[in-house]
Amino acid sequence: MNKLSLTSLFSTSLLTLSVTFSSATLATETLNVYTYDAFASDWGPGPKIKANFEKECDCELNFVALDSSVGILSRAQLEGKASEADVLLGLDLNLMEAAKKTGLLANHSVDTSNVTVAGGWNDKTFVPFDQGHFAFIYNSETLKNPPTSLKDIVDNQDLRVIYQDPRTSTPGLGLLLWMKSIYGDKAAQAWGRLATHTVTVTKSWSDAYGLFLKGEADLVLSYTTSPAYHIVAEGEKKYKAADAREGLYPQVEVAAMMKSAPHPELAKRFMQFILQPGFQSVIPTGNWMLPVVALDEKLPAAFDSALKPTKNIVLPAADVAKNRKAWVNEWLNATTR
Amino acid sequence: MFLLIGAASLVALLRYSDVNVWWEYLQEPYLWRVIQFSLWQALLSSVISLVVAIPVASCLIHRQFRGRALLLQLFAVSMVVPTIVAILGLVVVYGRTGWLSQIFGVQIPLYGLVGILLAHVFFNMPLAVRLLLQGYGLIPSGQWRQASQLGFSRWTAFRLIEWHYMKKVLPGAFVLIFMLCFSSFAVVLSLGGGPKSSTLEVAIYQALRFDFDLNKASFLSLLQVSICTLFAVIVYRIAPINRQDASLLAVKSYPVKDSIWARSADGTALLCVLILVVPPFLAIFDPVFSSTFLTTLLSSGLWQAVFISLKIALPAALLSLLLGICFCVLARFCMERKYLSVLPSKLEHLGNMILMVPGLVIATGLFLWLRDIGWHFTSSYWIVVWVNAVMALPFVLRILMPIFYQQERRFRHVYLSLGIKNWSRWRLEWTLVRTSVAQAFAYALLLSLGDMGVIALFGSQGLVSLPLYLFQLIGSYRLEEGACVAVVLISLCLILFYCSSRFIGGGAARGKSHVIR
Repeated sequence: MNKLSLTSLFSTSLLTLSVTFSSATLATETLNVYTYDAFASDWGPGPKIKANFEKECDCELNFVALDSSVGILSRAQLEGKASEADVLLGLDLNLMEAAKKTGLLANHSVDTSNVTVAGGWNDKTFVPFDQGHFAFIYNSETLKNPPTSLKDIVDNQDLRVIYQDPRTSTPGLGLLLWMKSIYGDKAAQAWGRLATHTVTVTKSWSDAYGLFLKGEADLVLSYTTSPAYHIVAEGEKKYKAADAREGLYPQVEVAAMMKSAPHPELAKRFMQFILQPGFQSVIPTGNWMLPVVALDEKLPAAFDSALKPTKNIVLPAADVAKNRKAWVNEWLNATTR
Repeated sequence: MFLLIGAASLVALLRYSDVNVWWEYLQEPYLWRVIQFSLWQALLSSVISLVVAIPVASCLIHRQFRGRALLLQLFAVSMVVPTIVAILGLVVVYGRTGWLSQIFGVQIPLYGLVGILLAHVFFNMPLAVRLLLQGYGLIPSGQWRQASQLGFSRWTAFRLIEWHYMKKVLPGAFVLIFMLCFSSFAVVLSLGGGPKSSTLEVAIYQALRFDFDLNKASFLSLLQVSICTLFAVIVYRIAPINRQDASLLAVKSYPVKDSIWARSADGTALLCVLILVVPPFLAIFDPVFSSTFLTTLLSSGLWQAVFISLKIALPAALLSLLLGICFCVLARFCMERKYLSVLPSKLEHLGNMILMVPGLVIATGLFLWLRDIGWHFTSSYWIVVWVNAVMALPFVLRILMPIFYQQERRFRHVYLSLGIKNWSRWRLEWTLVRTSVAQAFAYALLLSLGDMGVIALFGSQGLVSLPLYLFQLIGSYRLEEGACVAVVLISLCLILFYCSSRFIGGGAARGKSHVIR
């Protein structure tokens, strides 16, 4: 009896084993996409995009969530050519030069002629996947006379401002470039004036935004689309983005394919997919940014409140890459004096 | 072995270094300002933490009051509170529209040195108290009995007995807290009020993440290690030499004469705690009453994260404890042999060095090292466990070393003359050391539970721990849900700490030493 049960057990386990094996051989290819954590989270755009892509590709899409957009690049750099990544998704304008220099990225073959980013898009390596602008957010219930220009924000000593450190955070770097594009050579003096009424400069966007929501500041550096989140998700309309007459500095998030991609064909298909409705329609209420192509369906009404700047100010990527260190030092010297 | 890992990761980074440029780095004036500020704030933070902790520890030993056990539990978990949660908690209490300004109309300049100190004292004063209580555990009951018979006042008892034992724990605690504050990162940036307040750790992070400048990162880490080592050497040079007593263990505590002075001193100490530590905790636990709390509890992502966290923290803590015990046994083996007797303290300091190297640097170095030897990251899980275990080791050692040394001092001759060895010796000792072992295990557990840096670097799909989940939420506007997850995280820590002291420590881990004659 004992022996019998043992044999049957053995055969059952063999059977299971063979089933596992056959399913493994039948398994479809898995595309590895490195992205930042919020993108891949349950409430982010990741899961829907995964479902939409898997519907048409007969494959599995695997998001590897890293701690930030900078984290994506440094992880790929650390792994080098041995990386399992097919696609890096979530770098931004200002990381593009540095990312290209690593020599790890391949050119794409996507037609980007219908991309709505101001000034058009003709980069050979990167495909944009969402866009927005940096802006200062305020609480319209407590701040009755919101600033209307970056100059206001810099000069008005009554405004309590929180922004992020350009050494550690993407929006912080955005502000650095924004200031540079408006003030040019006089940026150092402007930083000095801003420093006198700056509450604090935080490590990351979350710290700054958290402090702002707790009422520690009148203005916090964030995105033009931030109010839309509060309207859609919380029904809260008091948070607004402050306009800037000089123009707002753009933020464009991009994706690129690895040269060493283990699944190059799938990666190419995914790069194409980025500009299609299956990806783009998920962006607004998933990542709280604007899509980069015109969509058939209208955006939720909340996004009407997002500022649409008329002026296009953006520093050339090569300049940014060349001068970033010098500009960061300029900021440091001006604010620590 | 574990030291090799730590060293290897640093060496892996150093391989990418170019010493010629280092001289240039040294000439940046900003770097020197940063070092100056780091030293200053770390010194202040650790001194304040200790100065407050001494009377608090004394009070907790001498008095029984309601909530004492809970307070001790809270003290244990304060250091695992994710920094952003602690910062927001402090802001709720001391901020512009915080409780302090609402109730008393007092506005304190939170952003700047004050905020940094408040946060660091919140994190480290409780740690200091727990370390000092360890020192109290070493006081033999005979001394208490005499104090009681001679009618010592609290002050005399403190001067003649307690201080003598505190002196043994203080230098270690001082160095530990100093190092933690010296390399503090998010707290210093967020509450510092601008880049004037910065630490070397910020520069290391920038070099490693934004610039991918391995050369600069390794230079800065070496600089940090050198400064901390120098500091540790100075402290240990000044500090009295640690001599263990061979007297009997505590049996029970004898009451020392009470007086109005003693009572008011204890009252002041407790008031300090009430002001510095309790309100931020209340603020952190505040979201329990919100409606989001229930919806957060019901989400499957949360429980998935709890599971992953436990899956990482439990093996990591076990590993750390195992390493720690091996280390202690080795150290005390050396202690009684003349020619080896310098080794233990040297080894202990080496263990501390792991704390001086930023976690991110260890992790990155390890990453490069493993890549170079051709190991691919099919399972980052074990790396996360391993690195976490190593990072918790200095804490484990700080807790285990004194008690293991004491055992050796007290009973070595007994064991030797009776021929009690190995396993049977261990069985005899277990009842004496289990409290400390439980505490060490609990600390390792909590540290791994609260870890962010290691898992963020090595993490992959499906490896979302509780703190990572929290940061994902906060990173996408969901601050309230993030706050609720923080409550879950802290509660989990409290429960685990309680279980650990209950089941491993045999219920005796209440800041009192174990009873045996």
